[in-house]
Amino acid sequence: MTSSPQPGPLPNPRFRITRHRRLAWWGSGLACLLSLVGLVLCWLNPDIRAPLRPGLDFTGGTQIQLERACGANCAPLSASELQRSLSRLSLPAEPGASAPSLNAAAVQVLDQGRSLVLRLPDLNPDQAAAVVAAVQAEAGPLQAAATSVNTIGPTLGDQLLKGSLISLLVSFAAIAVYITVRYDRIFAGLALLCLGHDVLITCGVFAWLGLLAGIEVDSLFAVSLITVAGYSVNDTVVVFDRIREQKTVLRDLALSDQVDVAVDATLTRSLFTSLTTLLPLVALIFFGGSTLFWFAVALTIGIAVGSWSSIGVAPTLLPLLARR
Amino acid sequence: MARQQGWFALILALAIAAGAVLASFPLQLGLDLKGGSQLTLQVMPTGSIKTVKAEQLEAVKDVLDRRINGLGVAESTLQTVGDDQLVLQLPGEQDPSRAAKVLGTTALLEFRAQRPGTEQQMTGLLKLKRQAQAVLNQRRQRSQALAEGQPTPAGEPPAASIPAQELAESLRSLGVTVPAGSGETEQLELLLAEVNRRIVELYEPAELTGRDLTAAGRQQQQTGNGWDVTLSFNSEGGRKFAALTQGIAGSGRLLGIVLDGRSISEASVGPEFKPAGITGGSASITGNFSAEEARDLEVQLRGGSLPLPVKLIEVRTVGPSLGAENIRSSLVAALSGLALVAVFMVVVYRLPGVVSVLALSLYALFNLALYALIPVTLSLPGIAGFILSIGMAVDANVLIFERVKEELRAGNTLIRSIDTGFSLAFSSILDGHVTGLISCAALFALGTGLVKGFAVTLAIGLLLSLFTALTCTRSILRLLTSYPALRRVTYFLPARQQPAAAA
Repeated sequence: MTSSPQPGPLPNPRFRITRHRRLAWWGSGLACLLSLVGLVLCWLNPDIRAPLRPGLDFTGGTQIQLERACGANCAPLSASELQRSLSRLSLPAEPGASAPSLNAAAVQVLDQGRSLVLRLPDLNPDQAAAVVAAVQAEAGPLQAAATSVNTIGPTLGDQLLKGSLISLLVSFAAIAVYITVRYDRIFAGLALLCLGHDVLITCGVFAWLGLLAGIEVDSLFAVSLITVAGYSVNDTVVVFDRIREQKTVLRDLALSDQVDVAVDATLTRSLFTSLTTLLPLVALIFFGGSTLFWFAVALTIGIAVGSWSSIGVAPTLLPLLARR
Repeated sequence: MARQQGWFALILALAIAAGAVLASFPLQLGLDLKGGSQLTLQVMPTGSIKTVKAEQLEAVKDVLDRRINGLGVAESTLQTVGDDQLVLQLPGEQDPSRAAKVLGTTALLEFRAQRPGTEQQMTGLLKLKRQAQAVLNQRRQRSQALAEGQPTPAGEPPAASIPAQELAESLRSLGVTVPAGSGETEQLELLLAEVNRRIVELYEPAELTGRDLTAAGRQQQQTGNGWDVTLSFNSEGGRKFAALTQGIAGSGRLLGIVLDGRSISEASVGPEFKPAGITGGSASITGNFSAEEARDLEVQLRGGSLPLPVKLIEVRTVGPSLGAENIRSSLVAALSGLALVAVFMVVVYRLPGVVSVLALSLYALFNLALYALIPVTLSLPGIAGFILSIGMAVDANVLIFERVKEELRAGNTLIRSIDTGFSLAFSSILDGHVTGLISCAALFALGTGLVKGFAVTLAIGLLLSLFTALTCTRSILRLLTSYPALRRVTYFLPARQQPAAAA
């Protein structure tokens, strides 16, 4: 120890993560297992048939959001009744093609009957206008300025899904190459493992949400996954950076002790950073409106898990892998 | 110190410039924030063309540009996206159905002579066509009157209709399979489409197409209340038209006007044109159009036909008050998030915390100025990217200040601690930002619309935060610590954490 170039005693970490590593591994393993179960159950579910419940962006179709102009005292509206009258509606057909049937239309009534969300098969603008007119006849006057109609053709849904998956994989690969260049292969492998862990758990939570609450994933969810991946690597890299920096100073200590020192030194930073990132996200959840709500939820879960894995998973696995 | 002051002057100048940029260039808001319609069109390769080339995409865009200008929607923009897509934005437009109709058709106009010896088939088909059209027209008028809340006029003529048995018979003879449960109107429309297709089969190949058109117009019919579309040909077109009409004049064969493979009008040419055909280089299409249909057809014909067919694959319409609600809520979210972060930084880091709040405000200002300057169209995901990049910017400050605190705890002097803190934190900050930028690059290159907006704002934010964290924070901090009154360790670290020697 006297050979250390820096004078003074060696740091004595207050918090030794490697002493709790079994607990950390069990916790993360269990969370990953639950996520996998959720994804598989989603896949086996005859309604979904995919690891996550795909939204309009990926399946294609038309979504119409309407607001009724009835203020505080809206006449009650039954979703199933509206659904039935929509299925009786015959739509204007395009020349050479028959009009889509509305039997599979799904109607949701929100905000104590003030707003409506309709999920329909792929409609052209004329047909969408006919549906809005039909709802108007049933539900009374609507606020034209608060209407939103989104139509995604089936080919575009396919393209969005493919684009999201490819950009996810490409960014993972590029990040791995960067870390291999800046650090080494073991660090890159661990950073990717952590990244997989964070992305898997975020997906798992949404698989369960899809199963239990019918929450769908859209292209914003893909964006949130990529952001989570970026943050996860960033968090892990900060800890690894510290381990590398101390390598010469602490070269007499066992690797697991070096890890303890590095984690302890960066712990405050890791927690504070997650906290300062989570603060705007929480603001987005509470005030951001419905469009960004689930996006913010996905990011909050991902960043919280990411900060956990950078403290509890990546550093504790390092001594195990580096020994070989 | 002179160097620090130089940096500080530069930052101040940049801040003033950013303020000026924001004042003179307004931020561009996406349609999800200000309301309007966005249509995405996919250009479809057909026949011998297997992939869409850049010049073909441009040619399609030119034609669509002309059509949109003909529609007279203010401030519309048409952009090419990727290799084979076009995005049309119509700010403030609530009903995109007309634009969709005008854009989506190829508008390939053909003039074709009827083949000899098909007169009998033609007569049968035309009879069916007239019947079906009459019934459909009447229904349309009635449902329109019903939708507008007008009472059905008294003494209305008895409804024209085709007996169900006869309709089924004609459908069967034409080989049309009717989907189960379809109503009479749908069956009539299917019948009409099939009849129009069969009529086109009775024509000879096109001698004259819309390419030889020089102008298109419309005029109200002298009898009845329908509209005609008038056409003028160039000299070659005029010659072809004369030859075409001469060939069938007085023979009882018809001249077919075919638009996008559908027969829209069948005209007979009288025997008086036998010697020279119809000369003068103009013609009119009598198709009993409504005023709006005539105008749309005129716009399409004048814009020329599309070199390749297009398909509407995405339509997004957002009402203006919904857009305002989106702006308001994300503004509230951004401001309250920033306020929470500012409070946290000042409480935890004291003087450097105040400095970082200052640096972060500059960061937000630079960001917005860049959005106005580039310009970046701000959409909801874009705002989300901005809010997230604030998180990354704060992280850089946290990393630096934690390092400074560590150095102070180890008993180093204030100025030395600040310098070491910045240089030691640099490598992790760089790694974090580079990995973030890698993700952004992948998202931007491979993602679509929404995802791209997010990637752009996040990337701008990451680049700027490298600058503000390493330059702004540092210069302001160095400038402040040049005043002895502020050079006290307690402003950086609580007294109980300070090493005894330094206290």
